[in-house]
Amino acid sequence: MQASRARLFKEYKEVQREKTADPDIQLACDDSNIFKWTALIKGPSETPYEGGVFQLAFAVPEQYPLQPPQVRFLTKIFHPNVHFKTGEICLDILKNAWSPAWTLQSVCRAIIALMAHPEPDSPLNCDSGNLLRSGDIRGFQSMAKMYTRLAAMPKKG
Amino acid sequence: MDSGDEINIYSDNEVNDYYGEDANNTDCNYESLIKEEDFVDSDSDSPVAKRPRLEGPPDQNYTVLKQSDIRERQENTIAEVATVLSVSKAVATVLLRHYNWSAVKVHEAWFSDEDRVRKNLGLLPIIEFPLDSTEVKCGICFDLFPTRDEIVSAACGHPYCVECFRGYIRTSINDGPGCLMLRCPDMSCCAVVDRDMVNSLVSEEEKHKYLTYLYRSYVEENKKIKWCPAPGCDHAIEFDDDQGWDVTCACEFSFCWNCVEDAHRPVDCETVANWMAKNDDESETKTWILAQTKPCPKCAKPIEKNEGCMHMTCHSPCRYQFCWICLGDWHNHINCNGYKEDKRKEVEEAKRHVQKYNHYYERWAAHNLSRLKAVSDLGRVQTEQIEQLSDIHGKTQIELGFIAEAWQQIVECRRVLKWTYAYGYYLPEAEDAKKQLFEFLQGEAEAGLERLHGYAEKEVRQFLNADERSVNFEGFELKLKSLTGVTKKYFEKLVSALENGLSEVQEAGKSNMEERWRCDRCTYANSWENVTCEICHMHQ
Repeated sequence: MQASRARLFKEYKEVQREKTADPDIQLACDDSNIFKWTALIKGPSETPYEGGVFQLAFAVPEQYPLQPPQVRFLTKIFHPNVHFKTGEICLDILKNAWSPAWTLQSVCRAIIALMAHPEPDSPLNCDSGNLLRSGDIRGFQSMAKMYTRLAAMPKKG
Repeated sequence: MDSGDEINIYSDNEVNDYYGEDANNTDCNYESLIKEEDFVDSDSDSPVAKRPRLEGPPDQNYTVLKQSDIRERQENTIAEVATVLSVSKAVATVLLRHYNWSAVKVHEAWFSDEDRVRKNLGLLPIIEFPLDSTEVKCGICFDLFPTRDEIVSAACGHPYCVECFRGYIRTSINDGPGCLMLRCPDMSCCAVVDRDMVNSLVSEEEKHKYLTYLYRSYVEENKKIKWCPAPGCDHAIEFDDDQGWDVTCACEFSFCWNCVEDAHRPVDCETVANWMAKNDDESETKTWILAQTKPCPKCAKPIEKNEGCMHMTCHSPCRYQFCWICLGDWHNHINCNGYKEDKRKEVEEAKRHVQKYNHYYERWAAHNLSRLKAVSDLGRVQTEQIEQLSDIHGKTQIELGFIAEAWQQIVECRRVLKWTYAYGYYLPEAEDAKKQLFEFLQGEAEAGLERLHGYAEKEVRQFLNADERSVNFEGFELKLKSLTGVTKKYFEKLVSALENGLSEVQEAGKSNMEERWRCDRCTYANSWENVTCEICHMHQ
């Protein structure tokens, strides 16, 4: 069996076993393709994303875990390091700082940490980055909160 | 066309990043080394290989390093640091890479605070990973291994199976020179994966790749060494002190060590950078548009006037009608004959600027082309002409060396002359006396060079086509030698005058020609203090 497949299988079993270990993350593998995963993560508290549930899509390469998985947001999110249209994420561990010791679960945790601590100096979403860089915290938070409500919360009524 | 374009005339000195230019050599092949050395050695013995240097210091302030030299130095430095600090060579390599291959800096840092250096670079003391269970789990594939035989770790002791760790190193090596600073895969661990560990795990091909990166890092991270930028050349040049940046590699390529452009003495790097940037960008075309056209006052499209009357109508859809001279609305226009200074001046200024630039650029480019031609001619002279002449006229190739020397002088002079046009372009227009002296020296040098070049090119033909030894050949030799010498002196004068910033002018104050006499033989302008000509020693 391919090394990547074996490793993903182990991660899969680990996720099954510890389903309740981290209530903020729900990882699931595509039924027919172990290289496709999705995750539901909860917006961290005390951030404009609080109360929202965000869906992530993972595309795992053949060389995994020596090469990082490709991750993007499927849920629209207003965040300096996430592309507003494509959901692409700018995070060092998904690029050059990747290490094979990371798992899909720990990548999710890193993304939650990124939601709580944006890096406005390397923005993929310039509007959002500029609000933070110019010190308009309130403006940033209300935009982010609005999109959380529009896209990441169940529709009321 | 917007008004911002006008400013372009003056703001085009963006300096390109010439330092960032990557070295051309990518491969270092151990086997080719030996051939390389033989080639260089045999070459430097031949008399024609010596390059004429214009008044350079006799002892070089730089060293050409061959692949073998670079390797030897690198090994010596590593061995030295390893001995002094009593660490393994692999650890010494990590230290040296971090401190730009300066042994002094390594020693300083290490002996002032060894613990901190170790921590920063991930040089941890070896830890045995605690065996809390009989099975060890690989941190990459998560498989369990019953014994430690198949497990490897960096100094930190985090366990990985051999297969996974090999894959980890291999991926990193294929990703580029980042593999030289590889760390333990564990997220929170900074332990270094050193050369020994890499060598013990990967294939020969990957080892070679890793060593190549290591070898290149010695030059690229060293502040005193740069690769020769000539295509296909894999020598490097070490520079010792900052006097005169021009260096000549063993491959015969001359370049400025500071900015890695072609050698450009007597012009400084800043002028060259400005000049090259100016040649590159389009601002001159824009300046032309500015001089030849006017923007429509309503839609700002540039308009070139081609009919006689001043009533202009812009293209549809704009259809704005205006006066060509004052750009005012035609419907309210009565006359605009009153004098308004600035507009007219701007256009004149822009026009003049383009003409000035064209003048200098044309000559710069012509000498550049001529130099390239001379380089190829020099090659032909060395390979064909000298041999042919040697057969016909019964001279040894060494005796005929003067022909190659003449050509080398031509190449060098073309190079200098080319850059004097960049110098001339940037010479402040207000300093008229300097400009006069500069143009005088440049003119003299240029005329001398044309004489030499023409003579070397044309006069030799009669001897090449001759069937037997010609009596005139001695005359040819004498004349070519003396022309070479005279031209060389002219250029030495020119170079040193430009490098001094034409400072003679301040001392002399007024016109220079009244204080000089022209030599009847070589036309050089001597100071009245000299009784014989400085160049050819002819009496006044």
